[in-house]
Amino acid sequence: MKPSPFEYVRATSVADAVKALAAHGDRAKLLAGGQSLIPMMNFRMVAPEVLIDIGNIPGLDEITIGDGSVQIGAGARHNVVMASDVVRQHCPLLADAYSHVAHFTIRNRGTIGGNICHHDPASEVPLVLTLLGASLVLAGPKGNRTVPADTFFLGMMETAIAEDEMLVRIDVPFQPAGEGWSFHEMSVRKGDYAIVCAAVRLTVKDGAFHDVRVGFNGAGTETKRMAGVEQALEGKPATDATIAAAVKVAVDLSDPSDDVQADAAYKRDLLSALGRRALEQARARASN
Amino acid sequence: MNVKAKAKKSIPASRQREVPGQDLKWIGQNMKRVEDPRLLVGEGEYADDIALANMLHAAVLASPHAHARIISIDVSKALALPGVHAVMTGEEVAKVTGPLPCFGSPPVEQRCVALGKVRHVGEPVAIVAADSRYIAEDAVGLIEVEYEQLPVVADLREAVHAKGAAVLHPERGDNNIALQRSFKFGTVDEDFANAKTIVKRTLRWPRSGAQPLETCGAVADFNRGSGKFTVHCNTSMYNYVGWLWAVSLNVPAHKLNIVPTMAGGSFGSKLFLHKVPIIAATLARKTGRPVKYLEDRLENLSSCDHHGSDRYYECELALDADNNMTALKCDVIDDYGAYFQFGIGHHGNALSQITGPYKIRSVEANITAVLTNKCQQGAYRGFGSEVSNFVLERMVDAACDELNLDRLAFRRQNFIKKAEFPYFIPTGNLYDSGDYEAVMDKAVGMLDLEGWRKKQAEALKEGRYIGIGLATCQERSVFSSTEFWSLNNVPGFTLTSSAEGVSVKLDALGNAVVKLQAPFWGNSPETMAVQILAEQLQLAPSAISVAYADTDSGLSGTGPGGSRYTVMIAGALVGASKIIRNKLFLLAGHLLQAGKDKLELRDGKVMVKGTEQGMSIADIAMQAHFFRLSFPDEPEFDTGLDANYTYDHPLTTLPSDDRTDLGIFYPIMGHMCHMPVIEVDIETGKITFLDYVAVHDCGTIVNPMTLAGHVRGGTAQGVGTALYEQYDYDEQGQFRSGSYADYLMPKVMEVPPNVRVGHVETPSPFTEYGIKGGGEGGRMGTPPALAGAIEDALRPLGVRIDALPVTPSKLRGLIRQAQAK
Ligand SMILES: Cc1cc2nc3c(=O)[nH]c(=O)nc-3n(C[C@H](O)[C@H](O)[C@H](O)COP(=O)(O)OP(=O)(O)OC[C@H]3O[C@@H](n4cnc5c(N)ncnc54)[C@H](O)[C@@H]3O)c2cc1C
Repeated sequence: MKPSPFEYVRATSVADAVKALAAHGDRAKLLAGGQSLIPMMNFRMVAPEVLIDIGNIPGLDEITIGDGSVQIGAGARHNVVMASDVVRQHCPLLADAYSHVAHFTIRNRGTIGGNICHHDPASEVPLVLTLLGASLVLAGPKGNRTVPADTFFLGMMETAIAEDEMLVRIDVPFQPAGEGWSFHEMSVRKGDYAIVCAAVRLTVKDGAFHDVRVGFNGAGTETKRMAGVEQALEGKPATDATIAAAVKVAVDLSDPSDDVQADAAYKRDLLSALGRRALEQARARASN
Repeated sequence: MNVKAKAKKSIPASRQREVPGQDLKWIGQNMKRVEDPRLLVGEGEYADDIALANMLHAAVLASPHAHARIISIDVSKALALPGVHAVMTGEEVAKVTGPLPCFGSPPVEQRCVALGKVRHVGEPVAIVAADSRYIAEDAVGLIEVEYEQLPVVADLREAVHAKGAAVLHPERGDNNIALQRSFKFGTVDEDFANAKTIVKRTLRWPRSGAQPLETCGAVADFNRGSGKFTVHCNTSMYNYVGWLWAVSLNVPAHKLNIVPTMAGGSFGSKLFLHKVPIIAATLARKTGRPVKYLEDRLENLSSCDHHGSDRYYECELALDADNNMTALKCDVIDDYGAYFQFGIGHHGNALSQITGPYKIRSVEANITAVLTNKCQQGAYRGFGSEVSNFVLERMVDAACDELNLDRLAFRRQNFIKKAEFPYFIPTGNLYDSGDYEAVMDKAVGMLDLEGWRKKQAEALKEGRYIGIGLATCQERSVFSSTEFWSLNNVPGFTLTSSAEGVSVKLDALGNAVVKLQAPFWGNSPETMAVQILAEQLQLAPSAISVAYADTDSGLSGTGPGGSRYTVMIAGALVGASKIIRNKLFLLAGHLLQAGKDKLELRDGKVMVKGTEQGMSIADIAMQAHFFRLSFPDEPEFDTGLDANYTYDHPLTTLPSDDRTDLGIFYPIMGHMCHMPVIEVDIETGKITFLDYVAVHDCGTIVNPMTLAGHVRGGTAQGVGTALYEQYDYDEQGQFRSGSYADYLMPKVMEVPPNVRVGHVETPSPFTEYGIKGGGEGGRMGTPPALAGAIEDALRPLGVRIDALPVTPSKLRGLIRQAQAK
């Protein structure tokens, strides 16, 4: 379980990394925390000829407050994001989701940027960033461009990032005061990738659900947010019956498949149970 | 078993020299492990720590197919890669190295590199030696193999009927049945005919295995001048079966020296480690340079030769009108994988305690061992008896449920009573001693069963499902190795012992070095040796150090398999100490001018009884080493103060020719009662531990703390087997558990936060001090206890647990079915 031979380049700035990417083309890969890339190299599932290490670029791991958003450097380690006061105060959904991401030691090395560029379909982070309406700042040979999370995440392990681009920052808008939110997950063991997870944001006004955003992983659908479920809640009375009906829509819209750890019927049961629990918790958290 | 037959059976006299119940200083203490400091600072010296000058590194090309004929192999590109020194296919290996050792009878031929055909995913197809493991793996990627796929056998019940191209080893006949045999012990037919109730269940035990932190590894060197191999290896049983490697390598056994490294917590998975050292040695002979081969994790998971039992059972339990269990019948199919290294020894093992702690008087066992396109079975903590424990306890719980009986009271009624030992079970094995009620009573008390029953009822009102499990299981220890051959369809051996040797040397300053003939494999062999020798010679533990012998210098040994090490090493140390004590008394007697029988060991000194006159052991040792000429010219005064002693099995007898009686072969019988308390989330199938009590009776305890460690670790493994772990193969024999992202062991968040351990001590009348084994511990009791706990939690829904592992997905499936009813 050893990687094939590769050359190692240490980038000292974003510009440096982008230049190296341009120079080596598709022979190269960026190395961030290495928690997904290195195992894949050791299994020889990928064999980049050049590794461009972006782990030492000054400032790439900073977390700052911008104009109505938290700006997270792509190189910020999972544990740092999770424990950040700024994140916990303004984007509690992200901090909460992070408590389900991997194990302590992996969170010490893995980065938010690496996680979302890797885009494992079971990962919590792309799901909540989509619900939070995050924007992703990419640096390329022609300068920076910003892509909304909605269109950044494509299929399984596919994103809108081009071969010569690098993710530098994630801007996450503040969750508004009074908003209810929740994140629920089932994995076989603590820290494993989720079988199913459910994320919810909503407000409750005059006894009805508003501004509803609901998404799942493990539902077997291409999109993270489920418009049908959101519609089943938006403007409807904030009752158990509404929740039950919406959860049923989620199950109907889902198309999960069997895998070694979980069969499709189980995943549908989880969509239903976790969906309900998340909606109930978000309702309880929302101020009326 | 009728009374007459029982009366005829005699029990060989006990050879116990140190009786239980003495006033002891070191045995029984919670002494900290003497192994730990060196392990904790990272200086344990494992196989991968061995580095010899000019050493090459091996890598293996593994079969991607479950069953295929090898048409051609082209190694030219691999050989051309700079840094590559040898590439060997199965054909080339076969020219110099023979088949691997096999205990199965008749044997199933297995080679360290496949010859002509691959029989499971992961089987070695070619081996490479190169300057580094990196280059070796690059070379592996350049080997081109053409295969012709053959029909795959991946299901154990289908394997029974396989024919033609689906047969793995056609030279053994046109079928995949490795061995099939039926046994009847006692009056089974009569007992079933007279039964008031017959309880039936179909049960499934999953394929799982031990997961050693260091995979199997060896560094082999071949000296062309002497024609001798030296192999450093993390094997567990080098002392017992290592000579068989020499047979494979086509050299006499004295031309192979095996140097043990730490085998680590291998739990049986390195018991019969042969493929790895023989690959390393074959490449060393080929290249003339030392070669290291250390499996990577994928190789260990897919091709370690040590997957655990994988069984399908159809069982029947007969009860009489008073709800006494009278007879047990098991039809079992066991999926042995592609090879058959131990034969059906795992079932021999299980038959030593097949009736558990209960007075079941007859047994029928119909055993079918099948060959399939999977990694072969080996040893895993319990060696097959953990499975029969599960099966029996499931049947006992099923009987309670069907007859609406209390799980505690029913067990108590059927227990063998304390006064009935030594007790013959129907298979012919003897249980030396026991007090099963005391163990269960202690567990019930420690758990506060009443309190939990109340909490359970209250929780149910809130829609929460709490369950309390109960398992009362045996832990046989100290095998005599009859189990490995008595079930074969061919005549066996005469009485086999499986001895354990020890060398003890007192140096000139009176400090002791103990040399063990078995490696460290995660238990506490050094701590045990230190505590027992300190007791025997009244030395301070700090005056004793422990080393491990290689095969050149070592005596006979077997090692810790079958929870035997503490019992056996105690026997060997008692024997060796007696020799040393005699010599100390002889020398001191001469110097003090006192008769030997007037002397005694007192506080580390040889003293003349009833006086304050004496000599320290250190002073006598100095005399023994350097001042020979001041003693009489009799051989017993010759220089030195040391002893070699090999202890043989304390109690064993031969099986009958027709195998209606297997003889005494696993008589040192421990017992345990496990009581977990769990909560089931019925929507997600997730199980959470609320409490866990485990009470064990391992006879006289040498060290309660290390024993409790065995119990806790074994319980964690039992949780793995019951709820999480499975080597998963699809219908095409593709292996789907090739990493720890797929083979799910419980981690710290998944095991009970605190396994509360209790001890009961019922000494053995046959072993030194009355010690019994305790090494397999929790894994032998946890799976049935958890299955019972889940059923207890879900009693309102009527969920039944017949198959492991009970993963969240499967448990939720069972709940869904129950809710739909
Ligand atoms: C045992 C284990 C359990 C895990 N469990 C979970 C879990 O439950 N949930 C979860 O979400 N994740 C989990 N992970 C994955 C973990 O979150 C990884 O850290 C993360 O997916 C990758 O981040 P990294 O910084 O390590 O990236 P790397 O492994 O270094 O890189 C990953 C990929 O992203 C690319 N990349 C990295 N940074 C950039 C960038 N700035 N711009 C463009 N491309 C970039 C790399 O080229 C590579 O292709 C687990 C990992 C392990 C080993």
